[in-house]
Formats: sequence, structure tokens, C-alpha cells
Amino acid sequence: MPAAFAALLLAFVCAGLTARGLHSLLPVELWWSALVAPDMTDVSQLLFHHSAIPRIAVSILAGAALGLAGTILQQALRNPLAEPATIGTAAGAHLALGIASLTAPFLFGFGRELVAIGGAVLATAAVIALSWRRHLSPVSLVLAGLVVSLVCGSASALLVIFNRDYMTELFIWQTGSLVQNGTVVAGGLAVRLAVGFALAALLIRPMRLLELDDDNTRSLGFSPVTLRLAGLGVAVWLGAIVVAAVGVIGFIGLSAPHIARMLGARTFSQRLALAPVTGALLLWLTDQVVQILPLPEEVPAGTVTALVGAPIVLFLLPRMRTVMSGQSALDLNSARHAIRWWMPHAAVLSIAATIVLSLFLARGTGGWHWASEGELATFMPLRLPRVLVALSAGAILAVSGTLLQRTTGNPMASPEVLGISSGASVGVILLFLAGIDLTRAGMMVAATVGALLTLSVVMVMAERIRTVPDHILLVGVSLTALGTGLAALVLASGDPRIDFLLAWLSGSTYRASALDAATAVALTCILLCLSPLMARWLEILPLGVPASQSLGLPFKTARLSIWLAAGVAAAAATILVGPLSFVGLIAPRAADYLGYHRPLPQLFVGAFVGAIVMAVSDWIGRTIIFPWQVPVGLLVALIGGPFFLWQLSRRT
Amino acid sequence: MSLGLAPIAVGDLKGYSQWVDQPKLPPETLDLGSRGEPSLELLEELDPDLIVATYGYGLEPKDFERFAPTYDLPLYADDASPYIQAKTETRRLGERLGRRGAAEALLFEAERMIEQSRTKLLDRRSGPVCLFTFFDDRHLRIYGAGSLLQDVLTRLEITNAWTGETSNWGISTVGVEQLAIIGDARLVCLEPIMPHAHRMMRQSTLWQNLPAVRAHPITTLPTLWPFGGLDVAARFAASMANNLVSA
Repeated sequence: MPAAFAALLLAFVCAGLTARGLHSLLPVELWWSALVAPDMTDVSQLLFHHSAIPRIAVSILAGAALGLAGTILQQALRNPLAEPATIGTAAGAHLALGIASLTAPFLFGFGRELVAIGGAVLATAAVIALSWRRHLSPVSLVLAGLVVSLVCGSASALLVIFNRDYMTELFIWQTGSLVQNGTVVAGGLAVRLAVGFALAALLIRPMRLLELDDDNTRSLGFSPVTLRLAGLGVAVWLGAIVVAAVGVIGFIGLSAPHIARMLGARTFSQRLALAPVTGALLLWLTDQVVQILPLPEEVPAGTVTALVGAPIVLFLLPRMRTVMSGQSALDLNSARHAIRWWMPHAAVLSIAATIVLSLFLARGTGGWHWASEGELATFMPLRLPRVLVALSAGAILAVSGTLLQRTTGNPMASPEVLGISSGASVGVILLFLAGIDLTRAGMMVAATVGALLTLSVVMVMAERIRTVPDHILLVGVSLTALGTGLAALVLASGDPRIDFLLAWLSGSTYRASALDAATAVALTCILLCLSPLMARWLEILPLGVPASQSLGLPFKTARLSIWLAAGVAAAAATILVGPLSFVGLIAPRAADYLGYHRPLPQLFVGAFVGAIVMAVSDWIGRTIIFPWQVPVGLLVALIGGPFFLWQLSRRT
Repeated sequence: MSLGLAPIAVGDLKGYSQWVDQPKLPPETLDLGSRGEPSLELLEELDPDLIVATYGYGLEPKDFERFAPTYDLPLYADDASPYIQAKTETRRLGERLGRRGAAEALLFEAERMIEQSRTKLLDRRSGPVCLFTFFDDRHLRIYGAGSLLQDVLTRLEITNAWTGETSNWGISTVGVEQLAIIGDARLVCLEPIMPHAHRMMRQSTLWQNLPAVRAHPITTLPTLWPFGGLDVAARFAASMANNLVSA
């Protein structure tokens, strides 16, 4: 009964805090009358009935809905990382709200729910369609979810950059605020949650079959695909109504099922009962704590769930058993390609062509213009550093991504996914929050410290949970959520300085100096020259500890060195072009899809792809809507994302 | 603009017309791109005489010195109140632009406008007001201590009902329900008001029962840039006078 005890204890804490809060608003003896028949002329009773009580109800209902959605998703996808935020649902809803508020604000006159659900369903449907050919295998589905989320997130961020003052409300939306000014939202959520529970009850028996493998499920007369789609449908709908009601609240859906499991809920039906309770208590507690904190600004609960949830998951991880291991091995079944003699020449040529294009062709007041030699002298100092920084950052991120993917044996590992880039941005944001002026030097120090600290957390965690390589992704997801929450908090504060922070967070080469360019190029050369030395390690490490040791490889040392190289590279790239969230994941995957599976070819081809994609995107970003500029990070996500998804769906 | 000189280009031209509005820029003004990342190539091409900006928010003067002399215009930088800073900075900019006369005229005009509005409001002591803009249908940005608008209120001898903590810019983001604590102060809302905020005001029982909403109709003021200078201060004073007297 430790489960019941823990839940009860948590419930008592929540109830205590709530009673304390409510009592300071209204004496206990008036509670009942204020609840059933409030005296509207009394401010305290008014707030009690129309603000405080609805807020408590909404926090409990939304938390329960997220816990339920997370449990269903994790079962349906056989993936411990699944929650509405990781399969594109939340990002899709957020983007739809952004587009609607700019192009069709009248839609909001009817309420936001339909808009949010539309976006959520479209994004999730895209994710499902893309992984359909792979029979919705957990890895391909979460990979597609991640990429769709990144694309939607980039598009939302782009809307914000061009219409900053209109989008402040979307920041609030993104941070998940539980503030209420009536009973309508709570009532609506309650009805929907009841429907959700009814549907989940219908799914209990068939979905338990998903714990078997697909063949066994089929032999019992159920189609695994249909079962998963049914589960997904319910979960996505739940996720969308929560986004529509209160905004994006991360981590509850992810952590509630895991906590339920830790508390002893071993079967799916037990989790289905316990996880919503856990989720409800978590969000309730969070929101109560938020309200008693002595802060000048209201801190949205969604931010705090990320800030609190991340450490909780990090704490629980080493104690967590794997229940459903995904099939996360690298793809090794397609044709292999070797590097041919002409390839390096072609690579050098195309990089040169990109540089020439970027330096000469641009727009001015008179439209498109090919710079003459004289003009080049004036424009060179403006353009060359950006080109070189973009090329190098792309290559560095690709190398970093390749190293991480090879050592973890996980195709989704990359500096962005493991939270190293987020760590760097958290450093800068903390500097910002401390009220220190954001100078280039200060930012560089803060970002480096942040990236290296995150890296050490990831490394320590990797050491403790090395039996389950997939869990390292959870570490990354937690750290990333921490960074995203913090960023959203700053962006929602309405601080006039956010223009700059936004530009940096979206990955811009605008501030690249000649010194940056020289450093970046030097670092790229060093990395590429050093990597052949690591080739053998990279071949052997994925085989595991016993194989490595029998081949005479010091497993720990080798992995530590490679990770250090990958981490420093990622930190440097983040400092140069902001916490880009794409190239480090995509470039190594692209090389792999092109058929370069062995470590060195993958590393070099990946670096080439990363460099070209970044440089071309930077050029497009500078010219396409001149004199405005699209930050290269967002553009890479917008161009590279769909391309990658197309590649993903084309392969069987 | 207020000193009688038009810039050849400004950052975020569309944003200026939507959120600052007055004074109107001449139609030939060019867009420099976003405020966070003005186009350096365009600056190179335009070859301006002076680059005026509020540096320190990620843009450093040294990044722009190669194109033209730079000029820093801080309005919320030190401990002095924003209105005092605006006066000092107007004088300094007038000096730099060789428009000392125009600067003094602007100073005089702002003082006169505020004083005139104060007298206008004198015979109509309307009690405390609460100034805000809608963020969305649940949140407001309230202007309090440390904001330019607060300085003008003080000079108009109007009490600000919002005494809560504010950021460096004198603003605070709060939920709609927080308006309950200001009692029956008069609500003054700066435009724009989005459709779902209108919907909230129609439908929310909490909103309709707020003491402030019950006590007075809401006063709306036309768009102005609350982080601006003397011109904004003067226009705010005038529109407060016009709207409160007729309210």
C-alpha cells in the first residue's frame, strides 16, 4: 500500500495548501454559501466562486487529462517518452492558435478549442502518416513527432518574430497559465474528461495486448495498428482539449505514468487509474506552490511543471525499470556506400559554390544584385563571417550529432535532443534574468558553462543508467523542457529586451564577427582532423561493454572522450548560432539514409550535408524577405524538417 | 520626428504604425528589418548620418560604428523617473541634431499639455484609475510605479490604483481576477483590444461583477507606445483629459 499512502500524503499537502490559500481569501464558514450561492457584491466571495475554485478544478482536471493521455500514449506507442508534447500534438495546437490569431482573430470569438484541436489533429496525423509505412514503430513515430514538433515550433517562432507585439498572448499560451475568470472552462473540461475516461475504459482490455509483440497480437485477432490508432485518437483529443483550455503544460503527461509505475502500478489498467490521479495531484500541487511563492509576476504553472518535473524525472530515472524497450537500433539493412575518390572534390566544389553565391548575390534597395568587385570589398566584412560561421556551425553540429548517435546507439541522440544546446541557452537566459547586460563575451561564458554543466549531468546519468541507452533521451527531454520553460517564462514577461533574446534563441548568424568566423573554421578543422582517430572506437562502442573489452578497448575512457568532444563541439556551435534544433539530429541521419553507415563516412558526409544546409539556409534567410531576415535556425528547421520527413516516409 | 527631423529608415516599420502610430512617419521612410536585427547591408547602402538606437539590449554601438556615428538613447536606464529621463534625453538629442530650439519647444509643449490636462481634470476629481492593456482574454499588462504613464498620472494629480510590484519598465503581467483588489477604481484600457477580450468582457461573470466594472464604464484610450518619450507623455495626458472629462 505504499502507493496509496504516497498519493494520500500528496493529496493532504495539496488540500492543506489550498485550504490555507482559500482561507486567506474567505473565512471557512462562508465557503459553502460562496460556493453554491455567492454574494456577487462581496469581492472575496466573487473571487472564491469565479476564480479560486475554478482554478483548482481546472488544475486537477487538466492534470488528470494529461496523465490519462500520457498513459494511453505510452502504451499505444510502447514508448516511455510519449506524451502529447512529444508526438506533435501540443506544437500543432500552438501553431494553429498562432496562425489564427494573426489571420483570423474572429475565430477566437467562438473560443479557441476548435482551432487548437484542428492544429493538434493535423500535426499528429502528419506524424502518424509519416510513420505508417513503418507500421508505427515506436522509434520512427517519436522521431517523426520530434521533427514535426520542431517544424511547428519554428513556424510559431517565425510568426512571433514578424509580429512580436501581437504574439505576447501566445507566449502566455505556451507557458500554460491556469488563471480562470469564470466556471465555463472547468465545466467543459470535466465533461470532456469523463468522456475520456469512458473511452479509456473501453480500451483497457485490447490495449493490454500491445504488451505482446505484434505477431502475437495479430494471432489473437487484433490488428496492432488499429489498436494503436484508437489509443492515439483518444490521447490526442485529450491533449488538444487541455491545450485549448489552459495552454501547453509539459511533463505531466510524461512523468505521471512513470511515477504511477514507481508507486507500484504494474499493469496497464492500474496505471490508467493511478496516473490521472498522480497527474492531477502534480498539477494541483504545482499551481498551489506557484501561488504562494513571493514573485512579482505571476509564474505560469506550465513553466513550473517543466522546472519541477525535470529534476523529478532525473531523480527517478536510475530507479526505473524498462518495461517496454523500443527497437532503437540503427538502420543497417540498406545498401552500403563507400566514399569514392571524386566525392571530396565534389564536396569542396559545392562548398566553394555556396560561398561564392552567398558573397555575391543579395538584395538591396534596387532588388536582386550581383556584387561587383568594388562592392564586394564593402559587403565582404558583412557577409563572409556569416557564411563561414554557418558552414562551420553546420559541420560542427553534424559531427557532434554523429558522435552522440554512434556512442549511444540511438538514432535520435543529438546535441539538441540530449539538451546540451538547451543547457547553453539556459546559461544565457539566467544571465538575462540576473539583469546583467547581454554582451557577447558574457553570453559566451554563460553559454559555455551551461552547455558543459548539462553535458556533465547527461554523462553522469549515462553512467548510472547505462543498461538502458534509451533512457538517456529522457534525460535530454527533461533538460530541454527545463530550458524551454525558462525561455517561455522570460518571453511571457513582456520585457522589451526580448527582441534580442528571441533572435538569438531562433539561431541567427547576425552577430557573427570575423573572430567568430576564424574560431569556427579552426574548430571545424580540428574536429574533422581528430575524428579519424576515433574511427575504431566508433565502430566498436555500439557493440556494448563485453565486445569492447574483448577487443581490448577501454570502454569508459573511449566513451567519455568521444562525449567530451561531442559536448564541446555542441557548446561552441550553440554559442555561435544559438541553440539550433536540427542539424545535429538531421545531418547524421541524412548521411545514414544516403547509405553511409560506417562511422567515418557517416561523419564526413554528415558534416558536408550539415555545412551546406546551414550555409544555403543562411543565404536564403538573409535575402528572401529583405530587409527582414529569417534566422537560419528556424529556416533550417522549416526546410530540413519536411525534407527529412519525406526521406523517412519514402523508406520502408 | 518630434524634433522635426524624419529618419530615412526605421526598424520594424509595420510595428511602428501599429503600436506607435503617432507621429506618422513620411511615406518614403524605409523599413530596416526587425528591431532585434536591423539589416546591416541596408545600412551600408543607405549610408546614414547618424544611427540612433537604445543600445545595450543586444545591439552594441560598436557593431554600427562602421556605417555612421552612433547615438545612444536610453529612456529606462538609470534610477531617474522615465519622464525626467525623457526630458534630459530630448535636450541631449536636440543638441546632437542641432535642433536645440525644437527640443526646447517639445519640452515646453509637453509641460504645457500636461498642465492644461491637469487643470481640465481639476474640477472633475475622478478618484483613482487603473491603467492596463489586454494581453489576451485572461491576462493584463498593468502600468504602475516606474512607468512613463505613472509619471504623467502623478503630474495630473491622479492616483494610480495599482500599487503592486512592477518590473524595470514599470509594468506587471497579472490575471484579470487581480482587478478585484483595486476596488472601485476607474478602469482605463489602452487599445488595441482583441476580439476574445471583448468576448470575455461580455461573458465572464467574474468580469461583470468586479467592483471596478460595476462602478464605472471602462474608458478606452487610443493606441500609444507606453515605452516612448515626451511626445507620448503629452498625448497620454491629453487623451486622459479628453476621455475622463467626457466619461
